[in-house]
Amino acid sequence: MSKLIMFHGAECPHCRAMHPLVDRLEKEAGIVFERLEVWHNEKNADAMRSYRPLITAKCGGQLRVPTFINVEANDAFCGEMTYEKLKEWASK
Amino acid sequence: MKKRYWRCFICNDIHIGVKPPELCPTCNVVHAYVEITAREARTILGMLPEGADFGAQDFRTSIETFTEKNPFMVNPDRERVEGLIGGVLGNEASHGLKYCPCRLTTKVVEEDLKLVCPCNFTIHETYKGVEKGECWCSLFVKR
Repeated sequence: MSKLIMFHGAECPHCRAMHPLVDRLEKEAGIVFERLEVWHNEKNADAMRSYRPLITAKCGGQLRVPTFINVEANDAFCGEMTYEKLKEWASK
Repeated sequence: MKKRYWRCFICNDIHIGVKPPELCPTCNVVHAYVEITAREARTILGMLPEGADFGAQDFRTSIETFTEKNPFMVNPDRERVEGLIGGVLGNEASHGLKYCPCRLTTKVVEEDLKLVCPCNFTIHETYKGVEKGECWCSLFVKR
C-alpha cells in the first residue's frame, strides 16, 4: 500500500474536521495516514516543504493544510473532502 | 515596480510603496513625503515605543474595524473565530508574524508575506466568484 501522509495544523478548523474521517478510514478500511502537525514541529514543517512543488501545483500555489499526500502516486489533495472521496483517493 | 520608503516631513509617518500618499493621513498636509532609505525607515520605526502585542480581543477589534467598509466580514461563528485567532496569535508568538493557521510558510520572504493575516484572500478560489466565499481558513467570509 502506498505511503499516505496528512499534513495538518493544530489550530486549523479544516484539519479538525478531517481527523474523524481519517480515523474512520483507518478503523473501517485499514488505510493509515501518517499525520504530521506542521506549526508546532519544525521537522514536520520541513517535511511538508520538501513536497512543495507537488503541493503548490495542486493547492493554489501555497502550502495549505490539511494536505494529503499519496507518495507512490505522487499526488496531493488539500482541504476538506467527503469520507467517500477520501477513501477513493487514498485507495489509488 | 519596486517599493520604496517615504517619510512625512511634518509628522514622521513612514510609508512603504511605489509612490507616497498625496495627503498625509495623520497631519493632512499635501505633498509632505520625502523618499528615504530602507535603513532610515527601520531606524525610525525602531526608535518608536514598541507597545504591547495584540491580545485576542485587540486583534478581533482590529479585523472587525478592517471589515466594516468591505464586502466581507469576520465569520459569525464565534467559536471557530476564537480558535483561528488563537492560531494566528500563536504563530506570531512562535514564528514572528500573524501567519494564517491553515497555510505553512515556505521560508521565502515574498511568498510568506502573502500569508500574514489578513491576507489578500479576495483573489483566492475559495472566495472569488464563490457565492458563500471565504478565505482559506474561514476567518473572513462574504457578507
